[in-house]
Amino acid sequence: MGGDKSDVLQGTLDLMVLKTLESMGPLHGYGIARRIEQVSGNSLTLNQGTIYPALLRLEQRGWVKAEWGLSEANRRAKFYSLSSIGQRRIQEETENWERTAATMARFLAPSN
Amino acid sequence: MDRILILVSRCIALFRRRKLDEELDAELRSHIDLAVTENLQRGMTQQEARTAALRDFGGVTQTRERYRIQRGWPLLGQLERDLRFGFRQLRRSPGFTVTAVLTLALGLGANTAIFSLINGLLLRPLPVPHADELALVYASRTNNPHSGFSIALFRALEKRHDIFEHSAAFDARPMQVRGSSGNLEVPGGMVSGEFFQVLEAPPLMGRYLTPMDDREGGGAGGFGAVISEGFWRTWFNSAANVVGTKLTIADTPFTVVGVMPRSFVWAEPTERADIYVPTWAEPVIDAPYSNIANGYHTVWLRVIARRNPGVSLEQANAALRAVSNPVLDDAIPDAKWIADARKDQFQFTAEPGAGGLSVLRWNFERPLIVIFSMCGAMLLLACLNLASLLMARATARGRELATRLALGASRRRLIQQLMAESLLIATLGTAAGLAAAPVVSRSLAALLAGTNRYAMIDTSLDLRVFLFVAGMAVAATVMIGLIPAIRATGSNLNDQIKKGSHTMPTRERFRVLPRVLMALEVALALILAVGAGLLTASLARLYGTGLGFDPKGLVNFHFDMGKQSLDDDALARWYRAFGDALQHLPGVSSVTFEGQTPLTGSTWSDDGVHSPFSNGNQTVYENLIAPDYFRTLRIPILAGRDFQWEDNSTAEPKIVLSQSAARKLFPGQNALGQKVTGHHGTSYRVIAVVGDIHYTSIREAAAVAAYLPISQMVWHKASYTAVVRLDGPAVPLAVAARSLVGRMAPGVPAPVMTTMSNVLDASIRSDRMMAILSVFFAACALLVTAIGLYGTLAYATARRTSEIGIRMALGARRAQVVGMVFRENAWIAAAGSLAGLVVAWLGSRTLASFLYGTSVHDPWVLVGSVAALASIASAASLLPALRAACIEPVTALRAE
Repeated sequence: MGGDKSDVLQGTLDLMVLKTLESMGPLHGYGIARRIEQVSGNSLTLNQGTIYPALLRLEQRGWVKAEWGLSEANRRAKFYSLSSIGQRRIQEETENWERTAATMARFLAPSN
Repeated sequence: MDRILILVSRCIALFRRRKLDEELDAELRSHIDLAVTENLQRGMTQQEARTAALRDFGGVTQTRERYRIQRGWPLLGQLERDLRFGFRQLRRSPGFTVTAVLTLALGLGANTAIFSLINGLLLRPLPVPHADELALVYASRTNNPHSGFSIALFRALEKRHDIFEHSAAFDARPMQVRGSSGNLEVPGGMVSGEFFQVLEAPPLMGRYLTPMDDREGGGAGGFGAVISEGFWRTWFNSAANVVGTKLTIADTPFTVVGVMPRSFVWAEPTERADIYVPTWAEPVIDAPYSNIANGYHTVWLRVIARRNPGVSLEQANAALRAVSNPVLDDAIPDAKWIADARKDQFQFTAEPGAGGLSVLRWNFERPLIVIFSMCGAMLLLACLNLASLLMARATARGRELATRLALGASRRRLIQQLMAESLLIATLGTAAGLAAAPVVSRSLAALLAGTNRYAMIDTSLDLRVFLFVAGMAVAATVMIGLIPAIRATGSNLNDQIKKGSHTMPTRERFRVLPRVLMALEVALALILAVGAGLLTASLARLYGTGLGFDPKGLVNFHFDMGKQSLDDDALARWYRAFGDALQHLPGVSSVTFEGQTPLTGSTWSDDGVHSPFSNGNQTVYENLIAPDYFRTLRIPILAGRDFQWEDNSTAEPKIVLSQSAARKLFPGQNALGQKVTGHHGTSYRVIAVVGDIHYTSIREAAAVAAYLPISQMVWHKASYTAVVRLDGPAVPLAVAARSLVGRMAPGVPAPVMTTMSNVLDASIRSDRMMAILSVFFAACALLVTAIGLYGTLAYATARRTSEIGIRMALGARRAQVVGMVFRENAWIAAAGSLAGLVVAWLGSRTLASFLYGTSVHDPWVLVGSVAALASIASAASLLPALRAACIEPVTALRAE
């Protein structure tokens, strides 16, 4: 799979999606992708399509729920929202990520 | 947890694939739409907006593919595609498919059937807790390592609880149970007090028998009895209050104390038992005789025991050896008997008893293993055959496969795809075989049971059989598929593509492997044919043996007279009257009675017979008979006269000797009118000398035999068998005889009818089974081999069409073409036969102990087998050869 420049670490993308849903509430795939791009300040050019396998993965785990609904422009779209399991797991996943990031930071810090 | 959730959702997704695909497409469409709308709002043109949306999205197809991978099992989808493809391939050549599936179904079905028989008879443990703790105990001597117990010996051993947690004696016995219309025979068992404790089998209702029941006269209320669930349902109509009711067995009331569940199997798994009574009831059941009264003289019990947990079989055996002598001293009040036993190295031995004890198992263990190996050889042959055919087919598809390899298909994918085809064949074959197996194994079980009405072999399919079948199916798939697939994909693709079908590369034409496979197949077929030939020749010789009497048209009616009131002369008069009445039934030409029916294996002998001229005591087989015996059985009277009913208990005791008995007892003398003395001291006047007959078995040469008249019988309430020679069919006689017994002896159970031909068949049923099955296997093997030889040659010849066309255009005569094609197979058949012959010559020795009057190297069988194989191989090879000769050179060349 790997090699593509705009690929994001799998776990990272999952957490971004969860955080987006936590702050924005129910959102369709396009909205999630745009939001991630905006928040990252365009430092991350995402292949928007990669969001869908990630959403499916989260759905399979039961962390997010999906429902068809109408978008702001009155179009049919699939809306994702956090499930109760997802809400509980966000905390855990965030801590995990912070631990990993801290570890990485220690490796990357100039040794003195 | 997550993994399980993902797994579940993937499983669900499997069944909703199309719907989910549509949904994904809709979602992706809506994504692009939303993006386009936003881009338009930013002021792009329609065209620009769409291009930008698609660019931002990345690859739609890749996303879809990744999404699907996340959703389900891509490998499964691949397998499904392969199976579909394989299925289409098979459907395109229905002839090949049907042949392949049938061949495999035959092989696998036969193996499954035989295996489930072996499973039921040899492998399955008793369905009791910790069956591995069970042990069978024997009172072994050098000349009889598996001897049973007398009651005295068992009681002395039973007391020793230090070796076994519990031990129990048992014996199967038909019992007379009083029904609404007189006594009926019901199979049952006599069991000692701890029997049910040994088996640890809880009752369905009530309680089981305990040591408190196994006492002289039973408990306070007489004897108790335990019945089977089946008997409770039929006899007592599933009455809820059955415990406590009385059951009259052998004219004596027994109290039903419990019901054993249907799942319960007693210590003799191949012998049905519906009623269990304590061993102390034996004198009642066996009246007017009693094994218990005979004490240590009569050996009639089998012993099963449960080892204490933690005591190994070796430890138990060591402990048994140590107590053998003390127990013997304790049990037997006869110093001479003990001395004799010690001389024969008497000792108790224990053997694994998880499967209980079965006479059928003893008799059929070795024949079944021989048959199982033949069966396995047939399956191997079927697989070899399919491998050859698939290989030939794959060769025909060589160019297609080479092209696909060239286009980038991985070899593994192609092999996988080709294997899918063999998997399909194997699955279909297994299913067909599995469907047929129960019927076959049931009829084989019936064949093994012979004339024993209460024999039962549970051939039901259990986990062990299914594992066996699954293993076989996998092995078959790999065997028939892997070699052809590896070979087909291993060829150099340049060669394949460069050269058209008109030039078969020489390398391919002289390939060794396909020929080795076919030759192996031929060799196996020949081995099976030789085995079948030998067993059939032996069976034919068994049937061809002169028995000394004529079994055709003889019908036996066996009576059980032990529980009625007539005795001695009065009973003899009843037999005579009954014989007269039978004589008047239509179709009856003569009637007589006998104590033992020849060839049933049940005989009676006296080892103390002597005359003034005999060289000490001689062992003579004896039989009790009525007048007209010799006429009815067509045994020639060589000198003297037949018995008469007037030879009764007041007349001088008389005897008839067989020819060889007369020679043995009166060497060089005329036996007629002389006196013979038995071991009891009674002297008998010889009134006739008759021809020898095979009394014990067909295999054993004519026995030294003597006949005594039932009218002078010494036994109480003896049960005889009426022997009828018929002119007409047996069925109306059976009905008439039954109603005659009902009238003349109400209360006596209906006599058991067997024809002498049944008895004869049953006496050699193991030979019959082996011959029938081996002929079946050999016939299948020959047929399959013929199909294989034909099929592979036909494929190969079809590929040589243009070559043959060129040859003929260059002047080859048709006969030469026929010869050329025919030779291909002739070499294979010859090499295979030679190899098979060598193996058969060396291996047939294993059959030696099963053969009667037949050498393991019987030249006729060997020649016949080779001839049969040669003619079948020729026929199979001639057809493609003739077809090749019909090729028109012009057509063949134009086709290129």
